[in-house]
Amino acid sequence: MDFVTLGGNLLGTIPLGDIVLYVNPFNLFLFAVLLGFTALIAVSKPETQVEAAKFNTLDNAQVKVDEKEFRQRRFLSVICGIASAGAMITGDLFNFTLFMALVGILNIGIVSAVKQTSVLNSAFNYGLIAMMCSLPLFGGASIILASTGTLSLAVLSQMHASPMVVFGAILMLIGILGESGVAPFFASKAEMFRTPGSPFIVIIHLSSLFIIVRAVEILLLVLW
Amino acid sequence: MNLMANILIQVIIAFLAGSLLLGLHRKIMARVQRRPGPPIIQHLLHSLKFFFKETGFPKTASKPFYIGITFILALIWIVGVIAGPVAHDSLLILFGVYAVYKIVEHNSGSSSGSPYGKLSCVRAVLSAATELPLFAAIIFVYLVTGTMNIGEIIAYQSVHGPLIFSIPLAALMFFMLIITKSPYSPFAITKDKVLISGFETEHYGLLRGFMHFSESIAWYVMLWVFLTIFFGPLTAVGYLVGMIVITFITGFINATTPIFSPNHSVMTQITIGAICFFGTILMIFTGVVA
Repeated sequence: MDFVTLGGNLLGTIPLGDIVLYVNPFNLFLFAVLLGFTALIAVSKPETQVEAAKFNTLDNAQVKVDEKEFRQRRFLSVICGIASAGAMITGDLFNFTLFMALVGILNIGIVSAVKQTSVLNSAFNYGLIAMMCSLPLFGGASIILASTGTLSLAVLSQMHASPMVVFGAILMLIGILGESGVAPFFASKAEMFRTPGSPFIVIIHLSSLFIIVRAVEILLLVLW
Repeated sequence: MNLMANILIQVIIAFLAGSLLLGLHRKIMARVQRRPGPPIIQHLLHSLKFFFKETGFPKTASKPFYIGITFILALIWIVGVIAGPVAHDSLLILFGVYAVYKIVEHNSGSSSGSPYGKLSCVRAVLSAATELPLFAAIIFVYLVTGTMNIGEIIAYQSVHGPLIFSIPLAALMFFMLIITKSPYSPFAITKDKVLISGFETEHYGLLRGFMHFSESIAWYVMLWVFLTIFFGPLTAVGYLVGMIVITFITGFINATTPIFSPNHSVMTQITIGAICFFGTILMIFTGVVA
């Protein structure tokens, strides 16, 4: 299987030594959307979140993101956007796993400065899952490297998938599911979204889902 | 035809057809519930009306984000029209479009600062269960046809017959997505009436107009993709009849079922998705699928 069949016609490659970044319409769409959102996050201030009325009063509780917290979260969100954009165009399996792990760490970092206990609990639980899943993520990539001698997607896409490659790909899939916090792990992540700071929350959601979309392409390239 | 003219025409067709189909959907639901219901053209009129209404901004909103996200929502569905009906490009692009659509839609809720929009956004994370059946359906289409290119999938079906007959359970998984995204769906936990209008609650005027515009195009593109990848090469009349039939079926289902609680919604989607997934794998490995 090659790049052309999966994501449309190859538009170009960016060789950086052994690592080759490649762009086809599919990768370009994901890359452009992520950069667009990163730019929007960089210029947006967070909203003031209105919570449900307090018990026995008609007052609404307003939760704001203070200046120091805002700067820290914006910085981490922009880095997360750039890391996710990198994962969209990389043609190297190990690079993808590195970007993936970085996105997982940044997702926790983005909510780590908030003061809501339920959000911090959720981030802690997600962090545990992400850490546990980094083992199958990197282990899967290592097994593929050990059995094929390469991490280049261009080369892997031309190779027949041996049982060890299939095993490595399955391990990688488990790692990706845990690191990005999608089903069946999304329950641990949902509470993280209760915190104010919509521009920062969007990148948590966007990076996880796009990594999964990109992972589909990568696993299909490796396996078929 | 000139590419730009083709894109413009297809976007207009998608908007008009999508609006009328959503109007029909509402009419069917009303008739099933023995109400007269609004005219079929009502959804289109509503969408146009919002473009001329005064636009307000909540004091609590995250401004550039709150405004920008509605334009992005419209833009990504235009990309969906280009990747689908115009260019017949990769299915993966449409999967990407759907992923962005979901995120943008729900984060438009949280950007206003409204508690209803916020809760809708949190529920959207739980409703990620919808993407898994879609993801699986696309992979099965790829396994059978050997390609992700929509043009090549159409060509495959013109030789081997519609995919609905070879991988019906994958088609059912895709259909689950259509039901989920249809108005008043039993799985529409993000637009549950306890959340007022969910993520749309605080968007009005021009911004709501863009949201309605995107909703119409989204409905058209989803039906177009479903018909194209499972029912083979179709004529314009075939698409029209197919879209009306699917709108009728979803309208009937939605009129007769209440909205599930978030937990039930997710578990039902995952259960149906899992049955269809393992059923299709079984069909492939036992040789039922050629």
